[in-house]
Amino acid sequence: MSTPKIMVIDDEKIVVDMTKMHLVKEGFDVETFLGAAPALERLKEEKFDVVVTDLKMKGIDGMEVLRTIKRLYPDIQVIMITAFAHLNTSMEAFRGQVFDFFPKPFKIKDFIASVNRALGRSGQPS
Amino acid sequence: MKIRHQLTASGILTIGLIVLILVFASRDMNAVVAKVRFVEIGDDLNASLLEMRLAEKNYFLFNEDKALTEIISGVTKAEDTLAQVRPEILRATGPGNVSTLRGYLEEYARIAKETAHSGARDAATEQSLREAGRKLRDFSARLIRAERDDVNRIIAASRRGMFLSFLAILAMAVLAGPIVFFRILKSLRRVVDLAHAISEGRFRHIEGVFPNDELGTVQRAMNAMSDELKSRESELLQSKKLASLGTLTAGVAHEITNPLNNISMLAETFETLYNDLGREQRIEFIHKIGGEVERIRQIVVGLLNFSKPKQADPREARLNDIVSGTMRLVGNMLDVSGIEVELHLAEGLPPIFVDEHQIYQVLVNIVTNAIQAMEELGEGERRLIISTRVGCAPDCLEIEMRDTGKGIPVELLPHVFDPFFSTKGVSGTGLGLSVSYGIIKNHGGRIRAGNAPEGGAVLTVELPVYVKEEDDEHPENHGH
Repeated sequence: MSTPKIMVIDDEKIVVDMTKMHLVKEGFDVETFLGAAPALERLKEEKFDVVVTDLKMKGIDGMEVLRTIKRLYPDIQVIMITAFAHLNTSMEAFRGQVFDFFPKPFKIKDFIASVNRALGRSGQPS
Repeated sequence: MKIRHQLTASGILTIGLIVLILVFASRDMNAVVAKVRFVEIGDDLNASLLEMRLAEKNYFLFNEDKALTEIISGVTKAEDTLAQVRPEILRATGPGNVSTLRGYLEEYARIAKETAHSGARDAATEQSLREAGRKLRDFSARLIRAERDDVNRIIAASRRGMFLSFLAILAMAVLAGPIVFFRILKSLRRVVDLAHAISEGRFRHIEGVFPNDELGTVQRAMNAMSDELKSRESELLQSKKLASLGTLTAGVAHEITNPLNNISMLAETFETLYNDLGREQRIEFIHKIGGEVERIRQIVVGLLNFSKPKQADPREARLNDIVSGTMRLVGNMLDVSGIEVELHLAEGLPPIFVDEHQIYQVLVNIVTNAIQAMEELGEGERRLIISTRVGCAPDCLEIEMRDTGKGIPVELLPHVFDPFFSTKGVSGTGLGLSVSYGIIKNHGGRIRAGNAPEGGAVLTVELPVYVKEEDDEHPENHGH
């Protein structure tokens, strides 16, 4: 089995850097983007196994990313992170489409476990 | 003196004057009537005296003995007449003249009686009788002449008195009335001026000494009301700030959550990957944590500056900097609400002289309103266009904020700055724009609400350009 490819999109540089460090440590192939537009361009070139995206970003936001991914590759698992804890309720509507949902601040350990589960690997429950 | 008392006193004075005129006129009239009556009696007396003098002549020249009887009966008749009308004559000419007249009559009668008794016709008797008759007639004639003169004098004096009284009443009507009304109108004008000032948000005082009347009470009450409104406005200002803070919370939560999450991730990574990190990386992590803490501190300081009550502290400022500062404060809120912001900031604008925090508050309030006005629009339709430029009025700068909401209904436009006016139902306090209005007015500026031709509400704030004066650091049009 080839190395799983993970895409991380967030406009906070520390978020993409930290998640990348941990995901690489887990042995994944990770690409990070500070905005949605180049990420979606990259998705047209290559399919990823899991996409981690922030919800609210300048320009194209996480919802748009989700819609595009589901149109291009319905089987890609999407993990959504957001600083808007109060949007949990509205996120319910996307529960069926989003594999997991992390309100900031979150534990990286839980996040890694979720990525593993998205890939069908056994991991610690989130 | 109270106005009520002044008006009563003025009325009583006028009525008193009229009564006085009537009393004097009546007194004069009675005197004239008595004197005229006396003159009539005097005329009769004179006629009968004339006859008595003729009788003297008849007695001495023509030896008519009965002539003396005519004189005696004439004197008796005259005395009877005087006795009959004694009170009127006393009133008309006084007791002195009456008794003198009676004296002359008695003297004349006595000599006539003695002459009749002795039957003498010598020169001495004639001289004595004629002298008594002449004195009587002269006194009577002089008395009547004097009384006629008196009548004329009384009529002239009465006429003069009437004229002077008329002048006095006229003067009271022309001068006293207007003086009272002038005082009332002057006080009312001060009250009206203050009422206008208060309606424009300038809570000043009526200065000067207050009259000790009802209008003084009104002026003191107006000053107290102005003070009260001023303190209420400060309370409104503070409550509106708190309300704005509530609206800002969503944006602020996001703003703080991000650095908080970054610190959390850096700390967790530092802990779990400690052995994998080089020394430089560890130091970099700590620096990054410090940077994120500073990010939170900036947000907190910004919020505190916005929320804490402060005295107005006007300083020289740049309008574009204030707009940029406002955008930092509301940027996240706008992002969350999916609102695209277009900034058109004119370059090279002259400085203004304002309390920056108060202007922030006005702009945050307008932005908050715009966000709420565009809630129902679809994504991509929500836009806020903010422009700064030199204003249409001379020496003034303008900030225009235009949203793409449904605008303000034309019939509500005149009321948007009224306190407690709100189109937002329970979600609006209705204080925002009225507080903004007060702040801008205090800065010598103007705030207008309208609708753009292409739709959406347009709020325009005008602020005067700061004119530096060599000997004065403060501009004329700055107020509190």
